[in-house]
Amino acid sequence: MEIKTSDAGNVKVLEFEGHLDTNTSPDAESAINALIDGGTNQLLIDFSSLEYISSAGLRVLLATAKKLKAGNGAMRICSLNDTVKEVFDISGFSTILSVSSDKDEALASF
Amino acid sequence: MPLSDEHAAALIRELSTGRFIWDAFILVLVVFSALFVPYQLVFVGADALRGFQFLYVIDLIFIADIVANYRTTIRQRGTEVSDPAVCRRSYRRGMFLPDLIAAVPFDLLVWAVAGDAVVWGVPLVLAVRLLRLFRVVRLFAILRRWEAFSWSNPAIIRVAKYFVSILLLIHWLASGWFLAALAAGFPPDSWVIRAGIEASEQTVQYIRSLYWTVTTMTTVGYGDITPATNTEYLLATLIMLMGASLYAFIIGSIASLLGGINATKNRHFAKVEAVGEFLRSKSVPPALGTEVRNFYDHVWERDRGVDSNKVLNDLPEPLRLKIVLHLADTVLSTVPLFAHTSPLLRNALLNSLESCTFTPGTVVVNEGERGNDLLFIVDGNLEIVTAESDEPLGSLGRGDYFGFMSLALGERRTASVVSRDYCELLRLSRHSLEQIREEFPEFGDVLKRVSAERSEQTTDLLMNGVVL
Repeated sequence: MEIKTSDAGNVKVLEFEGHLDTNTSPDAESAINALIDGGTNQLLIDFSSLEYISSAGLRVLLATAKKLKAGNGAMRICSLNDTVKEVFDISGFSTILSVSSDKDEALASF
Repeated sequence: MPLSDEHAAALIRELSTGRFIWDAFILVLVVFSALFVPYQLVFVGADALRGFQFLYVIDLIFIADIVANYRTTIRQRGTEVSDPAVCRRSYRRGMFLPDLIAAVPFDLLVWAVAGDAVVWGVPLVLAVRLLRLFRVVRLFAILRRWEAFSWSNPAIIRVAKYFVSILLLIHWLASGWFLAALAAGFPPDSWVIRAGIEASEQTVQYIRSLYWTVTTMTTVGYGDITPATNTEYLLATLIMLMGASLYAFIIGSIASLLGGINATKNRHFAKVEAVGEFLRSKSVPPALGTEVRNFYDHVWERDRGVDSNKVLNDLPEPLRLKIVLHLADTVLSTVPLFAHTSPLLRNALLNSLESCTFTPGTVVVNEGERGNDLLFIVDGNLEIVTAESDEPLGSLGRGDYFGFMSLALGERRTASVVSRDYCELLRLSRHSLEQIREEFPEFGDVLKRVSAERSEQTTDLLMNGVVL
């Protein structure tokens, strides 16, 4: 899995590519934690290139959202493909995490 | 089935409360008439022609009943007929004639023509009053109608029918037994003279006649009152014949009726017995046998010995759905899925949900297996456990559900769910789920809303590493 990082104003944008599963979650988690430790408190996770997410991936997202919220930060997720969206819908994550349909909408919502 | 307005105004619904109350009233009057008219004829005699004749008041009520019957709906081939013409025709061809003969006071006509003429020792007017016994057919018509009420127990109505028939028959035969002596003008060898009651009060005469009839019909026959004249011998023979056959009939009927009332319970326990016998013959440990027995007790409490699936399969689809909807009342109010569905989708779901019962301590879903279904808890309590941890990770109860995550993520379950007590669950298989989603695109939104409501529980479990 590849993680591309970019900036959009005060917001750090993380673009995930491939699968976010048991194997790749630890990498994703440490990448995110490094950003948070570095002072980032506004995070946009771009899933436009993410093909699959597993329970481990969901756990990372949930933990991140909690961590940011505790530090008065915010996390947005955008551009879910159908498979991932289905998982989000059925697990109820669509309602507990802030999900936007595309990047612009997500950025505007910070 | 509702009747159209124009008909509803003109007709009385056969199974309406008003008709039921009226029928109950008529029933009492029928029994009274059937007892009173012969009694008056035989025991009261000419005295009955003096004073207020309230029998004619009853006649008026029966004439009103004929009018009501004319306007009462009937059932044909299982449906209520709402065409007044058909109802009228059916009544005219059926019960109208006996009702009319019984209601019209023909004795008044006889009174006008013949005055207080006496035939065979009884006033002719009173004899013509016997036409009112035709009212008895109304009694059976009413009881037959009552059998159609959903709340009525046909066995109890049948018992009532036997009871009333026997009561009336005994009364009539007792009256006939006294009439045998009366009509002959009390010859010295008649039973009334030998019993010394020719001048006694009516009640004494009636009680003796009744006593003789019952002792004879029940084959007891003490022999203190015996026939002597030819008429008496003939009558006694007839009554003995009737008594013997009636006796056998009554005993047989009562035995089968009493057996029938508890038939389902007996069948259920016969099955439990047979299963117990089988388990013993296979040397199944007693503890396991007890568990099986407990399961059957639970099933009895739940279904009362009726295999609901079998009954439902007998019914045509729309009727089945109505029953299922009614039975599923608890399910509909406890299972969150139904809170957001359209009636059409709800029906599709009800048809696809498979109901399953789990005994205490059963593993409902296993750690490590792939989720292939959603499970909704209708009743009971369950625990989430893993092989690693001794403590349960959480509990699930009525209205909760599980299986979503494993199904949606395609991952293996990381915990098992074990029933703590008797649990009633509804299972929606992956196949049905996909089928319904295809047919009802809105089902996706329903699932989304349902999981949104329980997201906290799901995420808490997920953070603990539990995928169910």
